[in-house]
Amino acid sequence: MKVVIIGNGIAGNQVALSLRERAKETEICILSAETVPEYDPCSLPYFLGGSIEKKDVFKKNIEDYQQLNIDIMFNSKVVSIAPEAKCVTTDKGLEIGYDKLVLAHGGDLFIPPIEGIRNAGVFSCKQMVETEKLESHNGCRAVVIGSGAIGIEAAEALKKKGYEVHIIELLGWILPVLFDEPTARRLEAAMERHGIHVHTGEKVLRIKGDTKVTGVVTDKREIECDTVVVATGVVPGTALAKTALIETGRGIQVNRKMETTVSDIYACGDCVETFDSCTDEVVMFQLKHNAIEQAQIVAKNILGDNIKYLGAYAFARVHFFNTHAATFGKTMRATECLLGKSELIEKESGKDYLRVVLLDGKVIGGQAIGKYADAIGLFIGAMWRKDDMDRLRGKWNKIPQSGAAYSWPLIRLGQIIGPAAHG
Amino acid sequence: MLVDPEKCTGCQQCLIACSMKHHGNVNPHLAMIKILRLESQKLNIPVICMACDDAPCIKVCPMNARVRQTNGTVVTNTDVCISCRACVYICPVGSPVVNPYTDQTMTCDMCKDDEAGPWCVIACREGAMRVCESDALAKGVARERAGRSRAIYPNN
Repeated sequence: MKVVIIGNGIAGNQVALSLRERAKETEICILSAETVPEYDPCSLPYFLGGSIEKKDVFKKNIEDYQQLNIDIMFNSKVVSIAPEAKCVTTDKGLEIGYDKLVLAHGGDLFIPPIEGIRNAGVFSCKQMVETEKLESHNGCRAVVIGSGAIGIEAAEALKKKGYEVHIIELLGWILPVLFDEPTARRLEAAMERHGIHVHTGEKVLRIKGDTKVTGVVTDKREIECDTVVVATGVVPGTALAKTALIETGRGIQVNRKMETTVSDIYACGDCVETFDSCTDEVVMFQLKHNAIEQAQIVAKNILGDNIKYLGAYAFARVHFFNTHAATFGKTMRATECLLGKSELIEKESGKDYLRVVLLDGKVIGGQAIGKYADAIGLFIGAMWRKDDMDRLRGKWNKIPQSGAAYSWPLIRLGQIIGPAAHG
Repeated sequence: MLVDPEKCTGCQQCLIACSMKHHGNVNPHLAMIKILRLESQKLNIPVICMACDDAPCIKVCPMNARVRQTNGTVVTNTDVCISCRACVYICPVGSPVVNPYTDQTMTCDMCKDDEAGPWCVIACREGAMRVCESDALAKGVARERAGRSRAIYPNN
Protein backbone atom coordinates (compact mmCIF):
# COMPACT_ATOMS: atom_id res chain seq x y z
CA MET A 1 0.00 0.00 0.00
CA LYS A 2 1.26 3.47 -0.80
CA VAL A 3 0.10 6.35 1.36
CA VAL A 4 0.69 9.85 0.06
CA ILE A 5 0.45 12.68 2.58
CA ILE A 6 0.13 16.24 1.36
CA GLY A 7 1.56 18.61 3.92
CA ASN A 8 4.57 18.36 6.19
CA GLY A 9 3.05 19.95 9.27
CA ILE A 10 1.92 18.59 12.59
CA ALA A 11 -1.00 16.59 11.16
CA GLY A 12 0.89 15.16 8.17
CA ASN A 13 3.80 13.98 10.26
CA GLN A 14 1.57 12.52 12.94
CA VAL A 15 -0.22 10.42 10.28
CA ALA A 16 3.15 9.19 9.01
CA LEU A 17 4.42 8.44 12.50
CA SER A 18 1.27 6.61 13.62
CA LEU A 19 1.26 4.56 10.40
CA ARG A 20 4.92 3.67 10.74
CA GLU A 21 4.48 2.55 14.35
CA ARG A 22 2.12 -0.19 13.26
CA ALA A 23 2.90 -0.86 9.60
CA LYS A 24 6.59 -1.29 8.87
CA GLU A 25 6.09 -2.11 5.17
CA THR A 26 3.67 0.58 4.05
CA GLU A 27 5.19 3.03 1.62
CA ILE A 28 4.76 6.55 2.99
CA CYS A 29 5.43 9.69 0.99
CA ILE A 30 5.11 13.24 2.31
CA LEU A 31 4.83 16.11 -0.14
CA SER A 32 5.85 19.45 1.35
CA ALA A 33 5.35 22.86 -0.20
CA GLU A 34 8.05 24.26 2.08
CA THR A 35 11.78 23.56 2.07
CA VAL A 36 12.46 22.70 5.70
CA PRO A 37 11.82 19.59 7.83
CA GLU A 38 8.86 19.48 10.18
CA TYR A 39 8.72 22.36 12.62
CA ASP A 40 6.18 23.41 15.19
CA PRO A 41 4.31 26.61 14.27
CA CYS A 42 3.24 26.97 17.93
CA SER A 43 6.81 27.67 18.95
CA LEU A 44 7.54 30.27 16.27
CA PRO A 45 6.54 33.24 18.49
CA TYR A 46 9.04 32.08 21.12
CA PHE A 47 11.74 31.90 18.46
CA LEU A 48 10.70 35.41 17.43
CA GLY A 49 10.93 36.64 21.01
CA GLY A 50 14.38 35.13 21.42
CA SER A 51 13.38 32.65 24.16
CA ILE A 52 14.58 29.72 22.08
CA GLU A 53 17.01 29.07 19.27
CA LYS A 54 15.97 28.28 15.74
CA LYS A 55 17.01 24.63 16.03
CA ASP A 56 14.49 24.08 18.84
CA VAL A 57 11.60 24.96 16.56
CA PHE A 58 12.21 21.89 14.43
CA LYS A 59 10.65 18.59 15.43
CA LYS A 60 12.58 16.50 12.94
CA ASN A 61 15.67 16.68 10.80
CA ILE A 62 16.29 15.09 7.41
CA GLU A 63 17.86 11.96 8.93
CA ASP A 64 14.76 11.29 11.01
CA TYR A 65 12.73 10.83 7.84
CA GLN A 66 15.27 8.35 6.46
CA GLN A 67 15.32 6.49 9.72
CA LEU A 68 11.55 6.16 9.70
CA ASN A 69 11.69 5.15 6.03
CA ILE A 70 9.46 8.03 4.97
CA ASP A 71 9.96 9.61 1.55
CA ILE A 72 9.94 13.37 1.88
CA MET A 73 9.72 15.64 -1.14
CA PHE A 74 10.35 19.31 -0.43
CA ASN A 75 9.31 22.16 -2.67
CA SER A 76 6.50 20.06 -4.11
CA LYS A 77 3.23 21.93 -3.99
CA VAL A 78 0.42 19.71 -5.15
CA VAL A 79 -1.81 21.50 -7.63
CA SER A 80 -4.38 18.89 -8.57
CA ILE A 81 -5.77 15.50 -7.59
CA ALA A 82 -7.22 12.96 -10.01
CA PRO A 83 -9.28 10.57 -7.86
CA GLU A 84 -10.17 8.20 -10.75
CA ALA A 85 -6.54 7.73 -11.79
CA LYS A 86 -5.50 7.84 -8.11
CA CYS A 87 -2.68 10.25 -8.66
CA VAL A 88 -1.66 13.77 -7.66
CA THR A 89 0.20 16.35 -9.76
CA THR A 90 2.74 18.78 -8.35
CA ASP A 91 3.52 22.25 -9.63
CA LYS A 92 6.63 20.81 -11.33
CA GLY A 93 4.41 18.51 -13.38
CA LEU A 94 5.40 15.39 -11.46
CA GLU A 95 2.66 12.77 -11.15
CA ILE A 96 2.56 10.58 -8.06
CA GLY A 97 0.22 7.63 -7.68
CA TYR A 98 -1.39 6.67 -4.38
CA ASP A 99 -3.53 4.00 -2.75
CA LYS A 100 -4.60 6.25 0.11
CA LEU A 101 -4.27 10.01 0.08
CA VAL A 102 -4.19 12.25 3.16
CA LEU A 103 -4.82 15.97 2.84
CA ALA A 104 -2.97 17.71 5.65
CA HIS A 105 -1.81 20.86 3.93
CA GLY A 106 -3.30 23.08 6.60
CA GLY A 107 -4.53 26.59 6.15
CA ASP A 108 -3.38 29.76 4.53
CA LEU A 109 -2.98 33.00 6.32
CA PHE A 110 -5.96 35.23 5.68
CA ILE A 111 -4.65 38.46 4.17
CA PRO A 112 -7.31 41.14 4.59
CA PRO A 113 -7.89 43.45 1.61
CA ILE A 114 -6.23 46.52 3.13
CA GLU A 115 -4.46 49.12 1.06
CA GLY A 116 -0.70 48.79 1.43
CA ILE A 117 -0.74 45.25 2.81
CA ARG A 118 2.00 44.25 0.36
CA ASN A 119 4.42 46.97 1.52
CA ALA A 120 7.86 46.13 2.81
CA GLY A 121 7.68 45.84 6.58
CA VAL A 122 4.43 43.84 6.63
CA PHE A 123 5.00 40.38 8.04
CA SER A 124 3.13 37.36 9.31
CA CYS A 125 4.00 34.83 11.99
CA LYS A 126 2.54 31.55 10.76
CA GLN A 127 5.24 30.03 8.62
CA MET A 128 8.95 29.59 9.16
CA VAL A 129 10.14 31.76 6.26
CA GLU A 130 7.93 34.70 7.19
CA THR A 131 8.84 34.54 10.87
CA GLU A 132 12.54 34.46 10.01
CA LYS A 133 12.11 37.63 7.96
CA LEU A 134 10.35 39.31 10.88
CA GLU A 135 13.02 38.08 13.29
CA SER A 136 15.82 39.63 11.26
CA HIS A 137 13.89 42.86 10.69
CA ASN A 138 15.15 45.88 12.58
CA GLY A 139 12.37 48.09 13.84
CA CYS A 140 11.17 49.73 17.00
CA ARG A 141 7.44 50.36 16.62
CA ALA A 142 5.13 47.52 15.64
CA VAL A 143 1.42 47.22 14.96
CA VAL A 144 -0.19 43.79 15.19
CA ILE A 145 -3.41 43.53 13.21
CA GLY A 146 -5.68 40.92 14.74
CA SER A 147 -5.63 39.53 18.27
CA GLY A 148 -6.00 35.80 17.92
CA ALA A 149 -3.60 33.45 19.64
CA ILE A 150 -0.89 34.13 17.04
CA GLY A 151 -1.36 37.90 17.28
CA ILE A 152 -1.09 37.95 21.07
CA GLU A 153 1.98 35.75 21.11
CA ALA A 154 3.64 37.78 18.37
CA ALA A 155 2.88 40.98 20.29
CA GLU A 156 4.49 39.61 23.44
CA ALA A 157 7.50 38.38 21.50
CA LEU A 158 8.00 41.78 19.86
CA LYS A 159 7.62 43.49 23.23
CA LYS A 160 10.37 41.27 24.60
CA LYS A 161 12.54 42.28 21.67
CA GLY A 162 12.12 45.90 22.75
CA TYR A 163 9.52 47.08 20.29
CA GLU A 164 6.73 49.47 21.18
CA VAL A 165 3.69 47.34 20.37
CA HIS A 166 0.10 48.19 19.43
CA ILE A 167 -2.59 45.57 18.86
CA ILE A 168 -5.64 46.41 16.76
CA GLU A 169 -8.72 44.22 16.99
CA LEU A 170 -11.80 44.72 14.85
CA LEU A 171 -14.20 43.07 17.30
CA GLY A 172 -15.10 44.28 20.77
CA TRP A 173 -12.40 42.50 22.76
CA ILE A 174 -9.13 40.66 22.32
CA LEU A 175 -9.05 36.92 21.58
CA PRO A 176 -12.76 37.09 20.60
CA VAL A 177 -13.04 33.42 19.64
CA LEU A 178 -11.33 31.97 22.69
CA PHE A 179 -12.36 34.31 25.52
CA ASP A 180 -15.51 36.06 26.69
CA GLU A 181 -15.54 39.77 27.30
CA PRO A 182 -14.99 39.82 31.12
CA THR A 183 -11.93 37.57 30.86
CA ALA A 184 -10.57 39.38 27.82
CA ARG A 185 -10.94 42.77 29.54
CA ARG A 186 -8.81 41.55 32.42
CA LEU A 187 -6.18 40.29 30.01
CA GLU A 188 -6.30 43.58 28.18
CA ALA A 189 -5.59 45.40 31.42
CA ALA A 190 -2.69 43.05 32.11
CA MET A 191 -1.26 43.75 28.66
CA GLU A 192 -1.61 47.49 29.12
CA ARG A 193 0.24 47.16 32.44
CA HIS A 194 3.12 45.59 30.55
CA GLY A 195 3.17 48.35 28.00
CA ILE A 196 1.35 46.74 25.09
CA HIS A 197 -1.26 49.14 23.72
CA VAL A 198 -4.56 47.45 22.91
CA HIS A 199 -7.15 49.06 20.64
CA THR A 200 -10.39 47.09 20.33
CA GLY A 201 -13.36 47.79 18.09
CA GLU A 202 -11.13 49.48 15.55
CA LYS A 203 -10.86 48.88 11.87
CA VAL A 204 -7.62 49.23 9.95
CA LEU A 205 -8.30 51.39 6.92
CA ARG A 206 -4.92 51.42 5.27
CA ILE A 207 -1.24 50.90 5.81
CA LYS A 208 0.73 54.04 5.06
CA GLY A 209 3.95 54.26 3.10
CA ASP A 210 4.75 53.99 -0.58
CA THR A 211 7.01 50.99 -0.48
CA LYS A 212 8.04 50.85 3.16
CA VAL A 213 5.59 50.93 6.05
CA THR A 214 5.45 54.27 7.87
CA GLY A 215 2.20 53.97 9.76
CA VAL A 216 -1.25 52.45 10.12
CA VAL A 217 -4.51 54.38 9.75
CA THR A 218 -7.57 53.09 11.60
CA ASP A 219 -11.05 54.56 11.80
CA LYS A 220 -10.12 56.16 15.13
CA ARG A 221 -6.45 57.07 15.01
CA GLU A 222 -3.19 56.99 13.15
CA ILE A 223 -0.24 55.05 14.55
CA GLU A 224 3.29 55.60 13.37
CA CYS A 225 5.20 52.38 12.95
CA ASP A 226 7.88 50.63 10.95
CA THR A 227 6.62 47.05 11.35
CA VAL A 228 3.20 45.52 10.75
CA VAL A 229 2.32 41.93 11.68
CA VAL A 230 -0.79 40.48 10.04
CA ALA A 231 -2.46 37.94 12.32
CA THR A 232 -6.01 38.03 11.11
CA GLY A 233 -6.60 34.32 11.13
CA VAL A 234 -6.06 31.21 9.11
CA VAL A 235 -8.42 30.01 6.41
CA PRO A 236 -8.45 26.31 5.50
CA GLY A 237 -6.88 25.47 2.16
CA THR A 238 -9.77 24.11 0.14
CA ALA A 239 -8.66 24.93 -3.41
CA LEU A 240 -6.78 21.65 -3.80
CA ALA A 241 -9.69 19.55 -2.56
CA LYS A 242 -11.98 21.23 -5.07
CA THR A 243 -9.85 19.87 -7.94
CA ALA A 244 -10.89 16.38 -6.82
CA LEU A 245 -14.53 17.52 -6.44
CA ILE A 246 -14.42 16.94 -2.68
CA GLU A 247 -17.25 18.68 -0.84
CA THR A 248 -16.04 21.72 1.05
CA GLY A 249 -17.69 24.16 3.38
CA ARG A 250 -15.50 26.56 5.28
CA GLY A 251 -12.98 23.73 5.32
CA ILE A 252 -12.79 20.30 3.74
CA GLN A 253 -15.79 18.26 4.84
CA VAL A 254 -15.02 14.99 6.60
CA ASN A 255 -17.07 12.35 8.38
CA ARG A 256 -16.34 10.90 11.82
CA LYS A 257 -13.70 8.62 10.31
CA MET A 258 -11.97 11.66 8.83
CA GLU A 259 -12.82 10.51 5.29
CA THR A 260 -13.66 13.12 2.70
CA THR A 261 -16.57 12.68 0.32
CA VAL A 262 -14.24 11.02 -2.21
CA SER A 263 -13.19 7.46 -1.38
CA ASP A 264 -9.61 6.74 -0.29
CA ILE A 265 -8.97 10.39 0.43
CA TYR A 266 -8.69 11.44 4.08
CA ALA A 267 -8.16 14.89 5.55
CA CYS A 268 -6.99 16.18 8.90
CA GLY A 269 -5.48 19.23 10.56
CA ASP A 270 -6.10 22.89 9.87
CA CYS A 271 -7.73 22.28 6.48
CA VAL A 272 -10.84 20.44 7.69
CA GLU A 273 -14.06 21.38 9.39
CA THR A 274 -15.02 18.92 12.12
CA PHE A 275 -17.48 18.39 14.94
CA ASP A 276 -17.48 20.01 18.33
CA SER A 277 -16.88 17.41 21.03
CA CYS A 278 -19.71 18.71 23.22
CA THR A 279 -22.38 19.98 20.87
CA ASP A 280 -21.74 18.19 17.54
CA GLU A 281 -21.86 21.47 15.66
CA VAL A 282 -19.64 21.85 12.63
CA VAL A 283 -16.66 23.80 13.89
CA MET A 284 -13.07 24.59 13.14
CA PHE A 285 -10.54 24.78 15.93
CA GLN A 286 -7.23 25.14 14.20
CA LEU A 287 -5.20 24.03 17.16
CA LYS A 288 -2.36 21.59 17.54
CA HIS A 289 -3.95 18.97 19.77
CA ASN A 290 -6.93 18.61 17.44
CA ALA A 291 -4.60 18.12 14.47
CA ILE A 292 -2.73 15.38 16.33
CA GLU A 293 -5.90 13.59 17.41
CA GLN A 294 -7.38 13.78 13.91
CA ALA A 295 -4.14 12.48 12.39
CA GLN A 296 -4.13 9.50 14.75
CA ILE A 297 -7.71 8.71 13.71
CA VAL A 298 -6.72 8.92 10.02
CA ALA A 299 -3.80 6.55 10.53
CA LYS A 300 -5.96 4.01 12.36
CA ASN A 301 -8.65 4.12 9.70
CA ILE A 302 -6.12 3.73 6.88
CA LEU A 303 -4.89 0.59 8.62
CA GLY A 304 -8.40 -0.80 8.60
CA ASP A 305 -9.63 -0.04 12.11
CA ASN A 306 -13.03 1.50 12.36
CA ILE A 307 -12.36 4.38 14.73
CA LYS A 308 -14.57 7.41 15.08
CA TYR A 309 -13.34 10.86 15.97
CA LEU A 310 -14.92 12.18 19.15
CA GLY A 311 -14.75 15.79 18.09
CA ALA A 312 -12.60 18.83 18.45
CA TYR A 313 -12.36 21.23 21.38
CA ALA A 314 -10.55 24.46 21.96
CA PHE A 315 -7.71 24.71 24.41
CA ALA A 316 -5.36 27.66 24.57
CA ARG A 317 -3.32 29.55 27.09
CA VAL A 318 -1.91 33.04 26.99
CA HIS A 319 0.65 34.58 29.24
CA PHE A 320 2.22 37.98 29.45
CA PHE A 321 5.20 37.94 31.70
CA ASN A 322 3.56 36.90 34.99
CA THR A 323 -0.12 36.86 34.08
CA HIS A 324 -1.27 33.40 33.06
CA ALA A 325 -4.63 32.57 31.55
CA ALA A 326 -6.17 29.47 30.05
CA THR A 327 -9.33 28.70 28.13
CA PHE A 328 -11.00 25.56 26.86
CA GLY A 329 -14.19 24.50 25.12
CA LYS A 330 -16.87 26.97 24.18
CA THR A 331 -17.25 30.56 25.29
CA MET A 332 -20.47 31.93 26.72
CA ARG A 333 -20.97 33.93 23.55
CA ALA A 334 -20.82 30.80 21.39
CA THR A 335 -23.19 29.03 23.79
CA GLU A 336 -25.92 31.65 23.65
CA CYS A 337 -27.14 30.47 20.26
CA LEU A 338 -27.40 26.82 21.37
CA LEU A 339 -30.54 25.06 22.53
CA GLY A 340 -30.61 23.97 26.14
CA LYS A 341 -30.19 25.61 29.50
CA SER A 342 -26.87 27.37 29.72
CA GLU A 343 -25.43 28.51 33.01
CA LEU A 344 -22.43 30.54 33.99
CA ILE A 345 -20.33 30.06 37.12
CA GLU A 346 -18.01 32.92 38.01
CA LYS A 347 -15.49 33.10 40.82
CA GLU A 348 -13.21 35.98 41.58
CA SER A 349 -10.62 36.75 44.18
CA GLY A 350 -8.19 39.57 43.64
CA LYS A 351 -6.56 39.18 40.25
CA ASP A 352 -7.70 35.58 39.90
CA TYR A 353 -10.79 34.88 37.90
CA LEU A 354 -12.68 31.74 36.92
CA ARG A 355 -15.53 31.37 34.49
CA VAL A 356 -17.15 28.04 33.67
CA VAL A 357 -19.88 27.57 31.09
CA LEU A 358 -22.40 24.79 31.66
CA LEU A 359 -24.98 23.55 29.19
CA ASP A 360 -27.72 21.38 30.67
CA GLY A 361 -25.56 20.82 33.73
CA LYS A 362 -22.49 19.67 31.81
CA VAL A 363 -19.26 21.59 31.50
CA ILE A 364 -18.71 22.74 27.93
CA GLY A 365 -16.15 25.47 28.40
CA GLY A 366 -14.29 27.68 30.75
CA GLN A 367 -11.71 30.37 31.19
CA ALA A 368 -9.42 31.19 34.07
CA ILE A 369 -6.76 33.68 35.07
CA GLY A 370 -4.17 33.31 37.79
CA LYS A 371 -4.41 30.64 40.45
CA TYR A 372 -7.74 29.34 39.19
CA ALA A 373 -5.99 28.40 35.94
CA ASP A 374 -3.97 25.77 37.81
CA ALA A 375 -7.17 23.83 38.45
CA ILE A 376 -8.76 24.34 35.05
CA GLY A 377 -7.58 20.89 33.96
CA LEU A 378 -10.12 19.39 36.35
CA PHE A 379 -12.88 21.12 34.42
CA ILE A 380 -11.43 19.89 31.13
CA GLY A 381 -11.56 16.40 32.59
CA ALA A 382 -15.18 16.98 33.58
CA MET A 383 -15.91 18.08 30.00
CA TRP A 384 -14.32 14.91 28.58
CA ARG A 385 -16.23 12.71 30.99
CA LYS A 386 -19.45 14.73 30.55
CA ASP A 387 -19.91 14.90 34.33
CA ASP A 388 -23.27 16.05 35.59
CA MET A 389 -22.35 19.17 37.56
CA ASP A 390 -25.82 19.71 39.02
CA ARG A 391 -25.62 16.31 40.65
CA LEU A 392 -22.05 16.94 41.71
CA ARG A 393 -22.92 20.21 43.40
CA GLY A 394 -25.53 18.52 45.52
CA LYS A 395 -23.39 15.55 46.38
CA TRP A 396 -19.72 16.41 46.47
CA ASN A 397 -19.38 16.71 50.22
CA LYS A 398 -21.37 13.56 50.77
CA ILE A 399 -18.97 11.37 48.78
CA PRO A 400 -17.98 8.69 51.33
CA GLN A 401 -14.51 8.78 52.71
CA SER A 402 -13.55 5.30 51.66
CA GLY A 403 -13.12 5.02 47.94
CA ALA A 404 -12.68 8.77 47.68
CA ALA A 405 -9.33 8.19 45.98
CA TYR A 406 -11.17 7.60 42.74
CA SER A 407 -13.35 10.65 43.01
CA TRP A 408 -11.00 13.24 44.41
CA PRO A 409 -11.07 15.35 41.21
CA LEU A 410 -14.83 15.50 41.64
CA ILE A 411 -14.52 16.55 45.27
CA ARG A 412 -12.04 19.24 44.29
CA LEU A 413 -14.36 20.43 41.50
CA GLY A 414 -17.21 20.62 43.96
CA GLN A 415 -15.07 22.67 46.31
CA ILE A 416 -14.15 25.12 43.60
CA ILE A 417 -17.61 25.75 42.18
CA GLY A 418 -19.39 25.51 45.52
CA PRO A 419 -23.05 24.68 46.01
CA ALA A 420 -25.62 25.57 43.37
CA ALA A 421 -26.75 29.19 43.56
CA HIS A 422 -30.41 28.29 43.38
CA GLY A 423 -30.08 25.68 46.13
CA MET B 1 2.31 3.39 41.52
CA LEU B 2 -0.61 2.97 43.86
CA VAL B 3 -1.54 5.84 46.12
CA ASP B 4 -3.77 5.30 49.12
CA PRO B 5 -5.11 8.61 50.47
CA GLU B 6 -6.71 6.88 53.40
CA LYS B 7 -3.25 6.09 54.74
CA CYS B 8 -1.61 9.40 53.87
CA THR B 9 -1.13 11.66 56.88
CA GLY B 10 0.22 14.59 54.86
CA CYS B 11 3.62 14.42 56.57
CA GLN B 12 5.45 15.46 53.39
CA GLN B 13 8.22 12.89 53.78
CA CYS B 14 7.68 11.92 50.14
CA LEU B 15 8.09 15.54 49.03
CA ILE B 16 11.37 15.81 50.86
CA ALA B 17 12.60 12.50 49.41
CA CYS B 18 11.56 13.60 45.92
CA SER B 19 13.32 16.95 46.08
CA MET B 20 16.38 15.23 47.55
CA LYS B 21 16.47 12.72 44.71
CA HIS B 22 15.91 15.14 41.84
CA HIS B 23 17.51 18.32 43.11
CA GLY B 24 19.80 17.18 45.91
CA ASN B 25 18.01 19.63 48.13
CA VAL B 26 15.49 19.43 50.94
CA ASN B 27 12.77 21.68 49.62
CA PRO B 28 9.15 20.52 49.36
CA HIS B 29 8.52 23.16 46.66
CA LEU B 30 10.87 21.28 44.35
CA ALA B 31 9.08 17.95 44.71
CA MET B 32 7.12 16.44 41.84
CA ILE B 33 4.34 15.41 44.19
CA LYS B 34 1.60 17.70 45.40
CA ILE B 35 -0.36 16.84 48.50
CA LEU B 36 -3.91 18.01 48.17
CA ARG B 37 -5.68 18.45 51.47
CA LEU B 38 -9.41 17.91 51.47
CA GLU B 39 -10.48 19.12 54.88
CA SER B 40 -14.12 18.22 54.31
CA GLN B 41 -13.25 14.59 53.64
CA LYS B 42 -10.38 14.48 56.16
CA LEU B 43 -8.16 13.22 53.37
CA ASN B 44 -4.66 13.96 52.14
CA ILE B 45 -4.22 13.04 48.52
CA PRO B 46 -0.71 12.79 47.07
CA VAL B 47 -1.15 13.84 43.44
CA ILE B 48 1.44 12.58 41.00
CA CYS B 49 1.57 12.43 37.21
CA MET B 50 -0.61 9.58 36.01
CA ALA B 51 1.38 9.20 32.77
CA CYS B 52 -1.89 8.93 30.78
CA ASP B 53 -1.79 6.52 27.84
CA ASP B 54 -3.08 9.24 25.53
CA ALA B 55 -1.43 12.10 27.38
CA PRO B 56 -2.99 15.48 26.54
CA CYS B 57 0.07 17.40 27.76
CA ILE B 58 2.19 15.87 24.97
CA LYS B 59 -0.30 17.17 22.41
CA VAL B 60 -0.63 20.74 23.66
CA CYS B 61 2.99 21.56 24.47
CA PRO B 62 4.09 24.19 21.93
CA MET B 63 7.73 23.18 22.30
CA ASN B 64 7.16 19.40 22.28
CA ALA B 65 8.97 19.40 25.58
CA ARG B 66 6.73 16.76 27.15
CA VAL B 67 8.43 13.47 26.32
CA ARG B 68 7.42 9.91 27.07
CA GLN B 69 10.29 7.94 28.54
CA THR B 70 11.09 4.29 28.06
CA ASN B 71 9.55 3.41 31.43
CA GLY B 72 6.24 4.95 30.41
CA THR B 73 6.43 8.15 32.41
CA VAL B 74 6.10 11.55 30.77
CA VAL B 75 8.60 14.24 31.76
CA THR B 76 9.39 17.79 30.74
CA ASN B 77 12.56 18.38 28.75
CA THR B 78 13.97 21.36 30.62
CA ASP B 79 16.28 22.24 27.71
CA VAL B 80 13.35 23.44 25.61
CA CYS B 81 10.51 24.10 28.09
CA ILE B 82 9.59 27.78 27.86
CA SER B 83 7.37 27.73 30.97
CA CYS B 84 4.09 28.47 29.19
CA ARG B 85 2.26 26.12 31.62
CA ALA B 86 0.09 24.56 28.91
CA CYS B 87 0.68 21.12 30.47
CA VAL B 88 -0.48 22.35 33.89
CA TYR B 89 -3.71 23.71 32.45
CA ILE B 90 -4.64 20.73 30.28
CA CYS B 91 -3.80 18.11 32.95
CA PRO B 92 -7.06 16.48 34.14
CA VAL B 93 -5.60 16.07 37.64
CA GLY B 94 -3.43 19.17 37.73
CA SER B 95 -0.27 17.22 38.44
CA PRO B 96 2.63 19.14 36.82
CA VAL B 97 4.53 21.15 39.42
CA VAL B 98 5.95 24.52 38.48
CA ASN B 99 9.55 24.84 39.63
CA PRO B 100 9.54 28.13 41.59
CA TYR B 101 13.11 28.91 40.57
CA THR B 102 13.01 28.23 36.84
CA ASP B 103 9.23 28.43 36.19
CA GLN B 104 9.50 25.22 34.19
CA THR B 105 7.22 22.29 34.92
CA MET B 106 8.21 18.92 36.28
CA THR B 107 6.45 15.61 36.75
CA CYS B 108 7.17 12.24 38.28
CA ASP B 109 9.68 10.01 36.44
CA MET B 110 9.36 7.14 38.96
CA CYS B 111 13.06 7.68 39.77
CA LYS B 112 13.77 5.62 36.69
CA ASP B 113 17.55 5.53 37.00
CA ASP B 114 17.39 4.14 40.54
CA GLU B 115 17.15 0.41 41.05
CA ALA B 116 15.84 0.82 44.58
CA GLY B 117 12.61 2.22 43.12
CA PRO B 118 10.89 5.55 43.70
CA TRP B 119 12.29 7.40 46.71
CA CYS B 120 8.86 8.59 47.82
CA VAL B 121 7.74 4.99 48.25
CA ILE B 122 10.80 4.27 50.39
CA ALA B 123 10.26 7.43 52.41
CA CYS B 124 6.58 6.88 53.13
CA ARG B 125 6.22 5.44 56.62
CA GLU B 126 2.48 4.96 56.38
CA GLY B 127 2.57 2.74 53.30
CA ALA B 128 0.37 5.18 51.43
CA MET B 129 2.45 4.77 48.26
CA ARG B 130 3.27 1.46 46.66
CA VAL B 131 4.63 0.25 43.37
CA CYS B 132 2.83 -2.77 42.01
CA GLU B 133 2.01 -4.49 38.73
CA SER B 134 -1.41 -3.75 37.27
CA ASP B 135 -2.58 -7.39 37.63
CA ALA B 136 -1.68 -7.49 41.29
CA LEU B 137 -3.44 -4.18 41.75
CA ALA B 138 -6.69 -5.44 40.26
CA LYS B 139 -6.58 -8.59 42.37
CA GLY B 140 -5.76 -6.68 45.52
CA VAL B 141 -8.60 -4.24 44.97
CA ALA B 142 -11.04 -7.05 44.23
CA ARG B 143 -10.03 -8.87 47.38
CA GLU B 144 -10.29 -5.72 49.47
CA ARG B 145 -13.72 -4.85 48.07
CA ALA B 146 -14.94 -8.36 48.72
CA GLY B 147 -13.79 -8.00 52.29
CA ARG B 148 -15.47 -4.65 52.64
CA SER B 149 -18.78 -5.83 51.23
CA ARG B 150 -18.69 -8.74 53.67
CA ALA B 151 -18.31 -6.23 56.46
CA ILE B 152 -21.34 -4.27 55.23
CA TYR B 153 -23.53 -7.27 54.40
CA PRO B 154 -22.38 -9.93 56.87
CA ASN B 155 -25.22 -12.33 56.12
CA ASN B 156 -24.55 -12.72 52.39
